[in-house]
Amino acid sequence: MRQSFTAVVERNVRFDAEFTTEPYEAAWANEARWFVRVLEATGDSAKLEIHPQISPDGLFWCDEGSTSLVVHSPGLYSFALRDFGGWLRLHGDVHGESGSFKVIIYVVLKG
Amino acid sequence: MTNISDLRLALIQADPRLSKFNPLSRILVYDDFDDGINGWSELIGNHDGNLDNVRPIMADLRPPQLSNCTFFDIGTHGSVQGSYALKLATRAKANHMAQLIKRLTFVREGLVQFETYFTYKAEQIFKRSREEATTWDGNFDPSELDFGDLTFSNDVCEGHEGTRYHCALRYLNTDEHGKLVQKWMYKTSVQTSTKMHRAGIAPPAVDYHVQHPDDWGEVPGGYQPLCYNEVPTKINWHYLRWCFDTKTRRNTELQVNDQVMNLRDIPVPVYEITYKGLSHLLNFCIDVRTHRNVRNFLYLDSVLISVDW
Repeated sequence: MRQSFTAVVERNVRFDAEFTTEPYEAAWANEARWFVRVLEATGDSAKLEIHPQISPDGLFWCDEGSTSLVVHSPGLYSFALRDFGGWLRLHGDVHGESGSFKVIIYVVLKG
Repeated sequence: MTNISDLRLALIQADPRLSKFNPLSRILVYDDFDDGINGWSELIGNHDGNLDNVRPIMADLRPPQLSNCTFFDIGTHGSVQGSYALKLATRAKANHMAQLIKRLTFVREGLVQFETYFTYKAEQIFKRSREEATTWDGNFDPSELDFGDLTFSNDVCEGHEGTRYHCALRYLNTDEHGKLVQKWMYKTSVQTSTKMHRAGIAPPAVDYHVQHPDDWGEVPGGYQPLCYNEVPTKINWHYLRWCFDTKTRRNTELQVNDQVMNLRDIPVPVYEITYKGLSHLLNFCIDVRTHRNVRNFLYLDSVLISVDW
């Protein structure tokens, strides 16, 4: 049987500005699927923009290259990654006046 | 005629995975983290489905990771055996704690022993003060002062609404002022439970394990400078053996490498109130806490839990 693990990287937190999630080691895995569950969204025309980042050492990061996930309202959103090396995180930003998003962020790994 | 005990010992000593441990008569758990997380999960405070009701001290204890111990300067270190270790990582926020739990129940009261090979590190920092940079002597690195503390603990409950208690042993590397302490400590008060919090009979916890941050005593003979090994990117693994007795509700011994500490005379605080639904609870917890705005890490290569029934 393959190994699998679901990590709750952010839980019940509200973002209203630029942020990055904590570094998460995933070298053992060959596939990662991110889930972003938006519990609450506030602010007219607010949007949450998220894209994945990767690193060789957990200290220095670059964009993984995938198209950003753009979210406007509560719901469950997801995207998958492969060939990501050993470390993962998300970079996010909130646009729009008084915009904020309360989220739970999962990364589901298999290897 | 072969003695069963001698045969058992020979089998253990011939097994390269087990030979580095000293198990009691029955092995309950052997976790080699090259084979996955093995049931160590993030701890969260009790809630009723509404995550807003999780107590702050228990709302962000961080998920476990399987780490191959990779660093910016030498790449992958690997673990004692194989590549992966269980990793706990705090945020880069003073007093943040990461904690994992393994949940069992017990068959019979008696000795319970937890063994592991562990190591610990503070995250690499590149922009030190000019004073720190010029005073570096090539041996002692200021990053050793960035590591706070690590704690091994349990949660035991004797039967339905029975007596409940936690044993907790902390390696206090630095105090709140960043000064090296390097001592093993034991806790002297119960930890605030969600039940106590909601009943208003305990103040909000600042230190997860105790009612007040000062509720710790020094383990006799517990001063132990460990092999931090100079820089944030070198890890050395330490053998730890922690034994406690669920008949006497006491720790018995803590051994770290060659230092064996007798804990039998150290009192363990017991809850005055009872708890439903925790009959025969036997949980194991490990945590790491940073005292500065620097991530702290605790790594376990493998864990062996054994009992004497």
